[in-house]
Amino acid sequence: MADLHAPGTLVLGIETSCDETGVAVVRVGPDATELLFDAVASSMDEHARFGGIIPEIASRAHLEAMVPTVQHALAGAGVGLTDLGAIAVTAGPGLVGPLTVGSAAAKALAVALDVPLYGVNHVIGHAAVDELVHGPFPERLMALVVSGGHSSLLLVDDIVTGVTELGSTLDDAAGEAFDKVGRLLGLPYPGGPHIDRFAREGDPTAIRFPRGLTAAKDQAEHAYDFSFSGLKTAVARWVEARQDAGEEIPLADVAASFAAAVADVLTAKTIAACRRNGIDTLVIGGGFSANSQLRDLAAARCAEAGIELRIPPIRFCTDNGAMIAAVGAAAVRRGLPPSALDLPVDSSMPLESVLV
Amino acid sequence: MNETVVQLRDTVATRGYGKALAALLRAGDLVVLSGALGAGKTTLTQGIGAGLGIRGQVASPTFIIARVHPSTTGGPSLVHVDAYRLGSLDELEALDLDASLDESVTVVEWGEGLVEGLAEDRLEIAIERPHGAGRASDLAGPVELAHDGSAGQPDDDGSSGTRTVTVRGVGPRWAAIVLPVVG
Repeated sequence: MADLHAPGTLVLGIETSCDETGVAVVRVGPDATELLFDAVASSMDEHARFGGIIPEIASRAHLEAMVPTVQHALAGAGVGLTDLGAIAVTAGPGLVGPLTVGSAAAKALAVALDVPLYGVNHVIGHAAVDELVHGPFPERLMALVVSGGHSSLLLVDDIVTGVTELGSTLDDAAGEAFDKVGRLLGLPYPGGPHIDRFAREGDPTAIRFPRGLTAAKDQAEHAYDFSFSGLKTAVARWVEARQDAGEEIPLADVAASFAAAVADVLTAKTIAACRRNGIDTLVIGGGFSANSQLRDLAAARCAEAGIELRIPPIRFCTDNGAMIAAVGAAAVRRGLPPSALDLPVDSSMPLESVLV
Repeated sequence: MNETVVQLRDTVATRGYGKALAALLRAGDLVVLSGALGAGKTTLTQGIGAGLGIRGQVASPTFIIARVHPSTTGGPSLVHVDAYRLGSLDELEALDLDASLDESVTVVEWGEGLVEGLAEDRLEIAIERPHGAGRASDLAGPVELAHDGSAGQPDDDGSSGTRTVTVRGVGPRWAAIVLPVVG
């Protein structure tokens, strides 16, 4: 087995939790991890025709994309298979079929190359990838991971061994609420980017949509949890009322007011958590961090609170292999024992388990 | 046809009714939930989960299509499916779940028109929420939250209003079962 602690260990990261096949190669340095190449193949176009992800189609697409994407990543990094020192793969959470395709590929590579295998938590990867972009993390930080499937607030003392989940959504994820509101407004799937586009032309204060779990009575139990289901319902009912009255729906104002409610709750709760825990660095990751209202409001509120805000570029916020390689590299640098070669995938993997 | 209609005035009542339904559910049962966006399908499922005594937060399973909650009491698992993003669903087994449906209670949101053919016996639950705007959502004006992440005033969470829930037992399994009339 390769000497893990040799400087310059190359880690291959494989991500297949949803509809993107992501493969990346990183080099573990003494202090920082360097991204050599990141390759992504998406089956999004096939799913868009059906108005959503079809697990069976996603699994087959991963299967077909896996070998070419691995080859693409290796070629892009200018390395060969036998140069790899470790394999990291998403173990969960995500769709069972796609996860199984990725982990089978990773296990085969680990066995064939006789290198350690690390099963990695996808959600933690969304935060960890920022180390590749903006450099090593400080001792403590807060991470807000927001996507179509997740809305979680994490207190990070160590990105592999010290992640505490402060809160998460009790019902819909932020991106999911966007997709559902997009559907009720008659926008194509996925609705998020369309709402974002309309929202930029609208008045965010036009309609006062509710802020979930922000009432005084919720502060004891749910100070850091999110709820977007009531907001989604409020938008649906507001739109119905206008339709019933035969009025035109002011799409831009509805989109802007809805997006403002989501951004307001996410940033207010996150900044409050930073203040209460004495944290001065915030990382926002996950596909929903592409949302412009969230970015703008987070930037303004972090500046006001003296918190350094780190958001990776959008291509590293959507699902990718670099985020998984980043966690694998962090595990290698810490000398942590690898996962078992028969590691299971876990569609609802808890966030406090970073490795399996 | 074994059918009952109940009125549930808020989310607490909806969860309570889910709990009452859970007392009737056993391994192998299929529950099909229908209702518009925001009707309370996930809320009702949260109640069923509480009644079954399962592990984990019952949240929307839309992203992963299905989430399996094992029992903490040796009873059946809860398999919570969201067919919202599925164009078709020939067989639930095609979801490749880590659980046997024979040994679980399976609750499918947005499953109407998709899953009825899967089981002769099933509980069909239609939830109707009030149509049109709730009160708080019509207020305009500055809305930003305070520094501590809380709203300055009590906030309608958008889920208010009485739900009308129609529960229909289909098949021999449900023919003689008395469906709960209140939570």
